[in-house]
Amino acid sequence: MEIVESTAAGVKVAALKGRLDTATAPAVEGRLLVMLEGGAKVVADLAEVHYVSSAGLRVLLKAAKQAKATSGRFAVASPQAPVREVLEISGFDKILSIHATRDAAVAGLG
Amino acid sequence: MPLTMPEEILLLMLDDESGRLQERAAPSGDYAVAGAVLAELALAGRIDTDPGRLYVVDPTPTGDALQDRALAQIAAAAETGDSRHWIETLAVDADEYRDALFGRLVEKGILRRVEGRFLWVFPERRYPMVSDKEEREVKARIVGVLFHDDIPDPRDSLLIGLCRAAGLFSLILASSEVDRVQARIDAVADLEELNRSLADAIREIYAQIARYAPMI
Repeated sequence: MEIVESTAAGVKVAALKGRLDTATAPAVEGRLLVMLEGGAKVVADLAEVHYVSSAGLRVLLKAAKQAKATSGRFAVASPQAPVREVLEISGFDKILSIHATRDAAVAGLG
Repeated sequence: MPLTMPEEILLLMLDDESGRLQERAAPSGDYAVAGAVLAELALAGRIDTDPGRLYVVDPTPTGDALQDRALAQIAAAAETGDSRHWIETLAVDADEYRDALFGRLVEKGILRRVEGRFLWVFPERRYPMVSDKEEREVKARIVGVLFHDDIPDPRDSLLIGLCRAAGLFSLILASSEVDRVQARIDAVADLEELNRSLADAIREIYAQIARYAPMI
């Protein structure tokens, strides 16, 4: 799993690339939680994530929980169709802020 | 040492005074115990799931004999199955899992074992509660999640799904409270794929009961 960090309009963006599953979950979780420190605004861009397992979903949930606890903000951007489907089946779309594009996610948090 | 989810769910399925399993949990209790074992393996990073399959990601034993038995069984399987397949497969051995879990709860001083006779004839083993502290803590944790709007921890989501599967909410909450939080129960439980598979498997049990009940 490759994680590329950038900043757009005061919002931190983590562009993830690869599979988000048990093998990669700890590294992604660690990185997202560090990015969220101090109540930051963070977008996880899933445009290049082609698979998310249950362990991967838990990472996104923990990030959202951390953001809430530290008065930060967390959003998910550009999930591919299969990933979006998993997010919807599990009801994550009711808990997470999910946007079709990175720009929309950044604007939503800005 | 904190209780594992299989221990917690068994404790919740037990009638505290009589020491017998609640009748309400009877048809689906085996699946709930199997689901609890899988839930612990998932949180321990040994298995992972998606809507189509359940797979081993790390066959290293956890040190918990029951979880390791299930892990070895899944790892040794010739073909992969989905979560529902493994819930149904492990549930076949639910009696053995339950006996081992009762043994642990007795060792921990939470239950005591009473050998007796049912209807003066049939040997019966009961497990009345010695310490209700652990059960009260589990219930308090569940109620805390249901009555607050916070994002739940995965462990709590999984446990709430297990309670839903075993039909335990009417024992934990007043019926008016169940009505009030039913949508929250479903939202929290459905976050976890294992819980959704468990619910599907249990729906099938009740569908079978409904199908064959008129013939009995």
